[in-house]
Amino acid sequence: MIALEFPPINEILRWKDLFPTFNKIALIAVAAALIGTVVFLLAGRKDAKVAPKGVRNFAESIVEFIENGIIMQTMGRDGLGWTPFLLSLFSFIYLCNVPGIIPFLQMPATARMALPLFLSLLVWVVFIVTGFKHQGLAYIKNSLFPPGVPKALYLLVTPIEFISTFLVRPFSLTVRLFANMLAGHILLVTFALLSEALFQAEGNPALIPVGVLPLFMLIFLTGFEVLVAFLQAYIFTILTAVYIGGAAHPEH
Amino acid sequence: MLTAVVIRSGEVLQVRLVSAEEGKEVDLTECSFEPEASNPTECGPGPSPIIPEMKELAWGAGSFIVFALLMRFFLFPRLKKGMDSRYNSIREGHENAEATRTSARSEVAQYDAAVVAAKAEAAKVVDAARATLETERQAAITAANARIAAQREAAMAAADAARAAGRSQVESAVVDVVSSAVEIATGKRPDGSAVSRAVADAMSAGVR
Repeated sequence: MIALEFPPINEILRWKDLFPTFNKIALIAVAAALIGTVVFLLAGRKDAKVAPKGVRNFAESIVEFIENGIIMQTMGRDGLGWTPFLLSLFSFIYLCNVPGIIPFLQMPATARMALPLFLSLLVWVVFIVTGFKHQGLAYIKNSLFPPGVPKALYLLVTPIEFISTFLVRPFSLTVRLFANMLAGHILLVTFALLSEALFQAEGNPALIPVGVLPLFMLIFLTGFEVLVAFLQAYIFTILTAVYIGGAAHPEH
Repeated sequence: MLTAVVIRSGEVLQVRLVSAEEGKEVDLTECSFEPEASNPTECGPGPSPIIPEMKELAWGAGSFIVFALLMRFFLFPRLKKGMDSRYNSIREGHENAEATRTSARSEVAQYDAAVVAAKAEAAKVVDAARATLETERQAAITAANARIAAQREAAMAAADAARAAGRSQVESAVVDVVSSAVEIATGKRPDGSAVSRAVADAMSAGVR
C-alpha cells in the first residue's frame, strides 16, 4: 500500500522572494517582456528587403497571425491599428504561459491571479473607452438596448446585457486564463509526484515499474501544455479583439 | 530575540516562533519557500491562491505596460515598416511584370495582325498572278487553236488539191484506157470529149 501525500495548493503556487517584493512570477513576467522585446528588436534589425528568415521570419509570422488570423476575422481592416496592442497581449501571455513546462521555472505566471486579472481589467477599460470614443454615449444605449428587440423584452435583456458586457467579461477572461493554466500546472505536479512516489516505493518493489505509467502521462501532458499555452494566449487575444471590435462597430 | 516552540502531535511537528521580549507569536503567513528546497511544514497556509498578490500585480502590470509601449512606438513600427517596404517592392515587381506581360501581349497581337495582313497581301498577289496566268493561258490556247485551225485549213486545201490532181490523172488515164478499149473493140477511136464526159460522170457517180 502506498500513500501519496499531495502538498497543499499554496506549496505548489507560492514562491520564495528572490529579493523583497520580487518572486518567480514577477521574474517570469519581466522575462516575458524582455524576451518579447529582444525578439522583436532583433527581428527589426534584419534586412527587410531580403526574404525573411530566422528571428525576423518568426516575428513576421506572429504579426501576420495576429493580423490575418485574429484582426481580419473579428474586426476587419479597420482594426489593423490594434495590431501592436494585440501583438503585445498575445506575445506576453504566451511567454508567461510557456514557463509552465520549462525546467527549473516550471510555473506559468498566468497560473496566479495577478497577471490575468490585470490584463483582463486592462482589456475591459480599453474596450469601454473604445466604445465611448466611437459611439459616444450611444455606446451605453447600443450595448444595453440592442436594436430589433421587442420593447417589452428590454426588461429582461438590458440587465443581462449589462451583466454580460460590463461585469462578466473581465471576470470570465481572468478565470478562463488563470484556471486553465492553474489546472495544467496542478496536473503536471500530480503526475510528477505520483511518478516519484511509485519509483520510490521501497516497501513494495513491484510498484516501481508502474511508475512509468504516470511518467508517460506527465510527458504527454507536458506536450499538451505547449498547446494549451498557445491556445489560451490565442483565446484571450481573439476575445479581446472581439470585444474591441464590438465596441468600435455597434452593428457587429 | 525569537524562541522556537516545537509541538509534536503524532507525526506532525508544529513550529512557532515566539518573541522573547513581548511574548507575541510571529505571523508566518508571509513566509515563503521553495517547495523542493525546504520543508513545506515550516510555512503557514498563506493567502488564498485566488487572491492576487500586489507584488505580482505590480511587476506584471509594469512589465506588460513597458512591453506594450515599446511594441506600439518602437518595435512594431520598425518591423512593419520593413514588411511594408518588402511587400511594396514585391507588389511593384508584380506590377512591372504585369505591365511587361501586357506590353508583350500587345506586341504579340500587333505581330499577329501584321502576319494576317501579310498573309492577305500574299493571297491577293497570288490571286492576281493566278488570274494573269489564266488570262495568258487562255490567250495562248486561243492562239494555238487558231494556228492549229489555220494549219488544218492549209493541210485540207493541200489534200484537196492533191486529191483533185490525182483524180484528174486517174480520169485522163481512164479516158485513155477507155478510148483504147473502144478503139480495139470497134476499130474506131471514140470522141475524146464524149469519153471524158462519160468517165467524169461515172467517177462522180462512184464517189457518191
